[in-house]
Amino acid sequence: MSISKETYKVLESIVGAEYISDDPVVCEGYRTGPGGYECGLGYERLMTVIPACVIMPNSTEEVQKIVKVCCRYKIPYVPYSTGFYGPRSHPHVEGELLIDLKRMDEIEIDDKHWFAVVGPGAIYSPLQEEAMKRGGYVVIGGGGAQASVVANLLGDGWSPLSHRICLPHRRILGTELVLPDGELVRLGSLAQQDDPFWGEGPGPDLRGLLRGYTGLRGCLGIVTKMAVKILPFQPERLEPSGISPHTTLLLPEKRVKWINFVVPSKEAQVKAMFEIGKAEIAGAVTKVPLFWRAIAKAECKEEFWDLWGQENSDTINKFFIVRVLLIGFTSEEQMQYDERVLMDIMTELGGEARRTRPSDESWIKNADSAGMWVMCGSYVSVDYVIETLSQATEHGEFYADLKWKYTPPLMPDYGDPGWFQSFELGHQGYSEFLVYWDQDQNTDGVDLFYVDTAKMNIKQGAYTSLLGPHQPLYLTGPKYGPNYHTWLLRVKDEFDPQWLCHPPVPLAHDVFVERAKWMKPLKDWEVPKDLPK
Amino acid sequence: MAERQTKIDVKKLFAESPKTPVKLDITDLNNFVYDMSRCIKCKGCTWVDHIYMPGAQFRTRCPTATRYLFDSYGANGKMRIGIALAEGKLKWTDKLLEIVYADPLCGACDVGCKRNLDLEIGLTLEALRVKAVQDGVGPLPAHKKIAQNIKKTHNFFGSPHNNRTKWLSSAKITPAKKADVLYFVGCSASYSNPEIAQATAKILKAAGTDFMLMPDEWCCGNTVFSVGMIDEARDLARRNIDEVKKTGAKTVLVSCAEGYRMWKVDYPKLLNIATDDLGFKVVHLVEYVDELIKQGKLKPSKSMNMRVAYHDSCSLSRLSEPWTPWEGERGWMGMVEPRLARRRGTNGIYFQPRDILKSIPGVEFVEMPRTRENSFCCGAGRGTKEAFPDLALWSAQQRLEEVKYVGAETLVSACPWCKNNFAQAVKADGNAIEVLDISEVILASIASKG
Repeated sequence: MSISKETYKVLESIVGAEYISDDPVVCEGYRTGPGGYECGLGYERLMTVIPACVIMPNSTEEVQKIVKVCCRYKIPYVPYSTGFYGPRSHPHVEGELLIDLKRMDEIEIDDKHWFAVVGPGAIYSPLQEEAMKRGGYVVIGGGGAQASVVANLLGDGWSPLSHRICLPHRRILGTELVLPDGELVRLGSLAQQDDPFWGEGPGPDLRGLLRGYTGLRGCLGIVTKMAVKILPFQPERLEPSGISPHTTLLLPEKRVKWINFVVPSKEAQVKAMFEIGKAEIAGAVTKVPLFWRAIAKAECKEEFWDLWGQENSDTINKFFIVRVLLIGFTSEEQMQYDERVLMDIMTELGGEARRTRPSDESWIKNADSAGMWVMCGSYVSVDYVIETLSQATEHGEFYADLKWKYTPPLMPDYGDPGWFQSFELGHQGYSEFLVYWDQDQNTDGVDLFYVDTAKMNIKQGAYTSLLGPHQPLYLTGPKYGPNYHTWLLRVKDEFDPQWLCHPPVPLAHDVFVERAKWMKPLKDWEVPKDLPK
Repeated sequence: MAERQTKIDVKKLFAESPKTPVKLDITDLNNFVYDMSRCIKCKGCTWVDHIYMPGAQFRTRCPTATRYLFDSYGANGKMRIGIALAEGKLKWTDKLLEIVYADPLCGACDVGCKRNLDLEIGLTLEALRVKAVQDGVGPLPAHKKIAQNIKKTHNFFGSPHNNRTKWLSSAKITPAKKADVLYFVGCSASYSNPEIAQATAKILKAAGTDFMLMPDEWCCGNTVFSVGMIDEARDLARRNIDEVKKTGAKTVLVSCAEGYRMWKVDYPKLLNIATDDLGFKVVHLVEYVDELIKQGKLKPSKSMNMRVAYHDSCSLSRLSEPWTPWEGERGWMGMVEPRLARRRGTNGIYFQPRDILKSIPGVEFVEMPRTRENSFCCGAGRGTKEAFPDLALWSAQQRLEEVKYVGAETLVSACPWCKNNFAQAVKADGNAIEVLDISEVILASIASKG
């Protein structure tokens, strides 16, 4: 289904002929898959289509005008910043307008108050470079240095560096949001003046509505501008070095240093993270999956499997590493102090420091998420858990158990319990569970596993942050909150009564389960009869 | 449900998996369906390597994606379009031809992707053009004109063949009848940029290197190859290689980056042989001179007081790694057998030109924000200037912004196509930037001896 000529002309008058196209070839270039995050799966095949038209606005005003035209002509639309987040950020219904926000890529730093105003087309690494030039830093989320800052902060926005500088909702300041009807809402201090320096403002704080825990995938309007806090880092330059693919940041060792410790047990791992947080030291504290190390060491896919083939269930499940980033935020002496405290903690826990390269390939400036695809070709993080440090690790065991059931098609990883780290100086523990597969195999098992994780969490009484549009809303809604789905749907109805903003999100996964015959064995919950088809 | 493995046997899993034959043969787009289907839209093809990301300015390294903005013009979009084409879901249209051809095939996407993944993006883009020609819709009229010129006059410009060696007479240089080194001048230096040919020849003379020319030099075929006219390009490759072999030369020396890539990479690719099996060595002037300087056989002694930025010509840098034929099969988890040493741009000619420039007294060498494998192409190469002059001019203007950003007075490259394109952009914008080929700089630095 195409957009009518009349509507096209109206849209064209907003942005100019150069920035709109309904050419089928141009639109094909915006297909979500078959490769990419969560691609090559049933959800991508059954729930996504190419856009009917692509438009590239250059300002908040243009976005407002476009959205108002969509409302007038009943055109479904989806905001799109980089397209990296896979099928959930691509058109789901025929005749949809894709609003590509890449022209809105400004990065403006307020040097006095240390915040950056970014547009939705701006990605992380330029922002981080600008911040580091000033002795500051931001967190580049696990989504990668290539992720849109705005989209990532609305959805995820954390990394090992969140040990020190917190969860994303604490770093979002004044924000401009174009509502699904085209009206503009200015959040935080922007509500009162043209200065976005502060996150809170008069009236209800809609930041929670915007992102919930892990975002609403663009179904409640379009953020066109966001101010993001810049935090103090340290003054020395981290010098880029090497030629692709072996590029890295050389660390000034007296001010920035990674140290890898091997500890005797999972309990020691948790305890170490807790004590490091309690002592209020370090810039990052994390345990990463062993296969990430193999990715980092391997020259190519085949070499990864050579390395992985040398592992076994013992080496994986007894891999207790604590990776600590020390930062001399205020001085070399401060870092020396941190290191002495760290060594005392590790000595008490039986941790041994291993040789660690004085460089950073991933996390400070380049969160290297693209490497996740090298070994199998397909990947998704199936769950994010933010709990206490000790509870977060228990979650890993449930996952490891469930993964066996779906291996293959999942990559044989011996039940690796995923990525685990401290948030906010140990006040929270974070776990992320990553699964990999080859999209050329039958991937029904991956689709089943994804929903089965929600059922497992419900059964175990475990918290998960991948709710909302990430799982069937009528499966998880009655169990969490409870009935958070009714609230979410009321909010959606209120702000977007025509359901034009990225339909059928947040009910897309419910629709997918109804469409996918292979999902029937898992389907034991009720959905209303008027679910979008 | 699988048994809980305590140990997996990767070799067994691979051996028992279904296999698909794979070739790095650009005459069949289907050879690259796996690569196209694994593009993850990280846009590593577009962004500067994040480690080297210079800040809010100069974020991208792909001219096409930066100029046209729609994803469809970036490699990530082209991979999706390529699959639809391979599957017969898209038909050729003017827009599709524009997307396939408005692209200098500069290799930025290929090395950007291969920083993390093993996907053959550059070859896929070449295969798309070959398919356009196979399907009877490509290349574009401007390219066909070049192909006709080459067929009729053996040169890109359609100039009289007899004028090919005209540059010699004004330089008062007489090449040797027979020598180990054969200087392949190329169309550009022969016809439009004689100063490069003359400088190269004088440098060789100054170094005491005897050189000969090809008795009857023809075009290297860069443009016809680049636009997908594979048969015509292969004929030229065979002809030129045979001519070199007849001379007995041990080394083919070129002063043009595009020609360098053709001889070193694409001739072997076209003939399914390894670069090492050409029967002679291929070197660019900068490799040769760098070695001479390091051996003390050539000394740039004349001071040249200028602040210089160096532009990495794509075909000399990230696109210049030698070619090795490969075919095999793909199996479990997409692994291939036998092992494939991917060309990731790591071993391009990056340091030699910089070392040369730094060795010249008085030269203040400055790096632009996007350097080496992250360089922003001038936009002239591989059929772009001829069919999309606005894209070529725009790309050069973007690069010149970097020259101004670092305050350089002189922009040096090692390819006549880059030099001409930059010179035109400088003229169009009225910039006070001098554009030189590295051969001219080298000659000036040794001129007192030469």
